[in-house]
Amino acid sequence: MEERPYRSASGAPIALRRRQHSASCRELAVRCPRLQLRSLSAVTSAVWLAAYGLFVLSENSMVLSAAVFITLIGLIIYLHFVKIDQESLLVIGSLGIQVTSSYASGKESTTFIEMSQVKDVVINEAIHMQKVIYYVCILLQDPGDPQGVSEVVPLFQALLWGKRKCG
Amino acid sequence: NSPAPLPERAIYGFALFLGSWFGFILYLIWAFIPETWLFALGLTYWPQKYWAVALPAYLLVAIGIGYILLFGINMMSTAPLNSTDTITDNYAKKQQQKKFQEEAIPALRDIPISEVNRMFFLPEK
Repeated sequence: MEERPYRSASGAPIALRRRQHSASCRELAVRCPRLQLRSLSAVTSAVWLAAYGLFVLSENSMVLSAAVFITLIGLIIYLHFVKIDQESLLVIGSLGIQVTSSYASGKESTTFIEMSQVKDVVINEAIHMQKVIYYVCILLQDPGDPQGVSEVVPLFQALLWGKRKCG
Repeated sequence: NSPAPLPERAIYGFALFLGSWFGFILYLIWAFIPETWLFALGLTYWPQKYWAVALPAYLLVAIGIGYILLFGINMMSTAPLNSTDTITDNYAKKQQQKKFQEEAIPALRDIPISEVNRMFFLPEK
């Protein structure tokens, strides 16, 4: 088992952990840095200062309560749906590939792909916004056509979306 | 289809030049001369002067939106990361294999992504 530090394309420090469970079973896990206190404080202060400014202008105290609610609910939604803690790939030789994403709130979402559906695992380059990005993806076999690809499954989504999901 | 100057093109150019000057002078007359004077001349069925200001305003806003629209259309046309359009297309799927000839440069073809990856990333030991 080894764990090595790397840097993602957006500059965040990530760690890659590789484990070999048995001869035909391997696990790769990418761990993203935790939610930084400084960015959390910055966003909270900005929202609350803006709300206070609105309160001074409008004399309506509902603005302050609304700001508190928005901050709380926004933080919960961010931790549960957006911020990724760890993405792992479990490859079992003759069985399949399992992709697990764990979010900062503890939620884990898992996808299993059978080995017979997997055609190949490649590094693909695609245009995203104004950049060309390289990402690992699984090519799924097209049942009708032996040469064809039916679907492309990008792996390690957290690294693709940069600072928003990871870092 | 060369861009060289030709007599016909010179005539078209001059006709456009005169036409655009005429149109501009007409627009200025319509916008600035008071309605009563135009009625006195007998020209009563011209559009409201409101449009002399509204149409340029519409045009400028449309140009501004056009920049944003073009950017948006580009973003919408880009294939998402999980689509097969990033890997292949109809031409590549239907291409025919040309026979390999000795001493000749191999024919141009779309190489499947698995083969490209194998060549780049898996070292032959």
